[in-house]
Amino acid sequence: MNRRERRAERLVLACFAVTFLTGLGLLGVYTLGGDTQVQGVLLALCLGGLGAGIVLWAQELMSNEERVEERHPLGTGPEGSAAVAEALTDEAGFSRRRVLQGGLVAALGGLAAALAIPVLSLGPAPGRSLFETPWKKGLHLVGFDNQPVKADAIPQDGVVTVFPEGFPGSADGQTLLIHAGADRLQLQGDAATWAPNGFVAYSKVCTHAGCPVGLYRAAQGQLICPCHQSTFDVMQGAVPVFGPAARPLPQLPIQLEADGTFTALGDFSEPVGPSFWDMRLGG
Amino acid sequence: MKAPRFGRRERPVVDPIGRPLNDPARELRDAEARGDASAVDVIADPEPTELERITGWLDERTGLAGLVRTTLRKVFPDHWSFLLGEIALFCFIILVATGTFLTFFFVPSASQTTYAGPYPPLQGATVSEAYNSVLRLSFDVKAGLLMRQVHHWTAVVFVAVIVAHLSRVFFTGAFRRPREINWLIGFGLLTFALAEGFTGYSLPDDLLSGTGARIAYSAAISIPLIGPYVASLLFGGEFPTAAFLPRFFVLHVMLLPALFAGAIVAHVGLVFLQKHTQFRVGRAREDNVVGRHFWPGQAFVSGGLFFLTAAVVALLGGLVQINPIWAYGPFDAPIVSSPAQPDWYVGWLDGSLRIFPPFEPVILGITIPSAFVPGVVIPGILFTIVGIWPFIERRVTGDRAPHNLLDWPWESPFRAATGAAILGLFAILTLAGGNDVLSAFLDLPIESLTWLFRFLVLAFPIAVWLVVYALCRSRQRYPAPDERPKGGIRLVRNATGGWEEAE
Amino acid sequence: MAGLAALGAALLATGVAWAVSPAAPDPQAATNAAAADQTVVDAGRGLFTANCAACHGPAGQGGSGGPSLVGAGAASADFYLRTGRMPLSAPGQRVVRQPAHFDDAEIQALVAYVASLGSGPAIPQVSSGGELHQGWQLFQANCAACHNATGAGNAIGGGYVAVGLGNADPTTIGEATIIGPGAMPAFAFDDQSLADIAAYIRFLQDAPTPGGAPIGQVGPVAEGFIGVAIGLPLLILVSLLAARRGKPEEQNP
Repeated sequence: MNRRERRAERLVLACFAVTFLTGLGLLGVYTLGGDTQVQGVLLALCLGGLGAGIVLWAQELMSNEERVEERHPLGTGPEGSAAVAEALTDEAGFSRRRVLQGGLVAALGGLAAALAIPVLSLGPAPGRSLFETPWKKGLHLVGFDNQPVKADAIPQDGVVTVFPEGFPGSADGQTLLIHAGADRLQLQGDAATWAPNGFVAYSKVCTHAGCPVGLYRAAQGQLICPCHQSTFDVMQGAVPVFGPAARPLPQLPIQLEADGTFTALGDFSEPVGPSFWDMRLGG
Repeated sequence: MKAPRFGRRERPVVDPIGRPLNDPARELRDAEARGDASAVDVIADPEPTELERITGWLDERTGLAGLVRTTLRKVFPDHWSFLLGEIALFCFIILVATGTFLTFFFVPSASQTTYAGPYPPLQGATVSEAYNSVLRLSFDVKAGLLMRQVHHWTAVVFVAVIVAHLSRVFFTGAFRRPREINWLIGFGLLTFALAEGFTGYSLPDDLLSGTGARIAYSAAISIPLIGPYVASLLFGGEFPTAAFLPRFFVLHVMLLPALFAGAIVAHVGLVFLQKHTQFRVGRAREDNVVGRHFWPGQAFVSGGLFFLTAAVVALLGGLVQINPIWAYGPFDAPIVSSPAQPDWYVGWLDGSLRIFPPFEPVILGITIPSAFVPGVVIPGILFTIVGIWPFIERRVTGDRAPHNLLDWPWESPFRAATGAAILGLFAILTLAGGNDVLSAFLDLPIESLTWLFRFLVLAFPIAVWLVVYALCRSRQRYPAPDERPKGGIRLVRNATGGWEEAE
Repeated sequence: MAGLAALGAALLATGVAWAVSPAAPDPQAATNAAAADQTVVDAGRGLFTANCAACHGPAGQGGSGGPSLVGAGAASADFYLRTGRMPLSAPGQRVVRQPAHFDDAEIQALVAYVASLGSGPAIPQVSSGGELHQGWQLFQANCAACHNATGAGNAIGGGYVAVGLGNADPTTIGEATIIGPGAMPAFAFDDQSLADIAAYIRFLQDAPTPGGAPIGQVGPVAEGFIGVAIGLPLLILVSLLAARRGKPEEQNP
């Protein structure tokens, strides 16, 4: 054993010693409470010592003689493929029965249809569910706690997430009630009448990919979706002004009650959330 | 009892084609001539070593001795870039190991419970069983957080290593005949890895994972004619559903790992059958393999590499916090946090959704949703191009010959330029997926960055293509250092005191 | 100068009052109280004329460079001055958090003057008795969308940034929710809710990161960067080391 080899052997042993000691240390740290960082470092040293030792062993103390292996062509040539083709077709009872072959394919098609049954059970047909939300005429606009939200609890430029009464936390009923101010709102037609005293309500579900449109930049009166930055102009009926969304956030028709609470005048005027192919065909 | 003898015997038994290497008859004659009775016994009826007894026992029952010997003597070309695929395999093994640990604690259920663990702000919060169990794993199970973080970091580097391995195979032309099938299998492995990553990201049921699942649902629903059905079948109804968590769990821990493991067996099996490719250096030719024997040299290097890979992810998992779900809070449909990103390897898809212009045409009453083109069509096209690249290149170059020697990347400017352009496109899309974080970091408005990315996503790949193509062409005009005559000229003193060139 | 001296004396007196008072009122109460003191208002007017009037008009009625401060209230003035967002050195500059330009006494004087311009919100008293879980719920529902569930902040488009809340004190939090500075919407939290939110933000500021380095608390973007820029190179380094030839090559016999 020459000097180089002796040095390499000591090095490999040192690596293995690191593994041995850090392994025991890891057990100790774990028993004493187990700090994630200390455990991570010890585990890395434990694994790293083993890896480094094994690699150094191979590099320094094993033959690195260059070996050459012949490479033979993989295929067996035309004879081989002909033989396979013959083996596949030489049974006349199979290869000559064209009608039966067709029948087998048709039967497999039927089996595929049968196999669709469990697949179709995985979820209900969408039906009307994408067109509807729990909002109905007369339902109060409530907060996360199912308590009606009052107009005086929303300052000018304020925003609050509301739900249909009885459905707090509703995913498709979630709505933003914004105190935009009557002087800043520029709504037309019905939309204007659905915004009593400068309060306006839009669906909180983005029409692009369905994230909650949670960011309200009050100074510009713009709602932004944090997922893909679709930006909607609250003053102009929540039309998209930037980003990938192409459809306004549907507006919820609301009215202000005498006691300062709000009620819905009905469901949203169009489907909420991400668009789908038949949304304009009425399902 | 006799001590087992595992030591190597003095003589090898057979040569590679199974002929006896030594000549027992001659050795027997010699021993008899010396009068060495014990040697005569041993040579006449050599006692098998303990190891030989074990291999013999197995061989009698399987007949695999020849194959095993061929495998142990198989030659592996040694270049560091050939180890990237191995590291990816090791990451998979680490993922299975740590993931198995996690499944012992994870509860794949969306049913609601009240949090009563040690994290103060959440005490009393209504959370899903899934979220609750991941918090318990993180805070109450000793070393649980470490295992979880190692699992997540391994997933993060796993895809990066797969992409690096895929790039090596791509730029060296290793996918050419006869290895097209293995390219397709490898491409399948990449998509399985992405699906694994996405389903795993969705399991803790925290605010971010729910947002990610929500976007996947929206991409599914955007497909014309079948979208609402596909989304409903996948999620078990209209999002959010209680069904999707247990479903994603089964996909994540059973179906996808099984597919992945099966594809790995086919992937490595084909490498075994076809033998590894090699660079055109030294004695390497089309019809040979030059390198190191599998046993023990290559096996030790690979084994050591496994532990070194595990050490790297253990270090990350111990020192760098990943996915602190307690800080994000449980998923709740009306609540969102910003920034909201997927893990980096899905970032390009998010980037595509972010920078695509608002486009929602209505054709004959049929709406093409705005998420459809950037969320379904573009990823489909990009992945199809990558998946069928061997056939595209064969069509373009007309090169149908088998190749066992690798190209250097610059030797095929068209391939190198196209590959770099595709990587560049993915890089821009990935950066665009973080446009809000970059906006805060660079102090530029999101809108300006988005427009910049809209421009770059078209211009950058073209620029990269042209630059890489030009670089490859110019590289081709000059020989590589190792292609020049070695050592230059050697001068020696001649008898008259002058210098002359040596042989 | 005389005004300032008077102010100093007034403040000294207040300081003495704090020291002897068994339940020391917090400085915001003092600022609100100072708003009523005419000498303090006069001192504020002087500072205003010198530092603010160029944009906000000589009487705070607004001008070409800045909005009217009539009715802005003490909360608004205190918020902008104490967080260094005002004054700007030139109109149109970005309004960003900086070290305060004025000292505490000057801020109290300016706040008193702005408060005297018209009725506006007073500086809120945010009690320290907030309940963490309630605060968390309110924060998730109202603040996380812009400021990040971790409180790290984020860009929110239009060149605006929802600031990180790492050094937001309870009074600043309360003021911000009342006035809705910059692009932020205004909120009308009751006192208890405000205390709850402040308690939770305080918790976030010292929140433990049991997993290790928090890498900015911005989620997968930073994680992906670490994975691709540190994890992958480390693994490539490892494969380079594993593939190296340790000893001089043996010759094939």
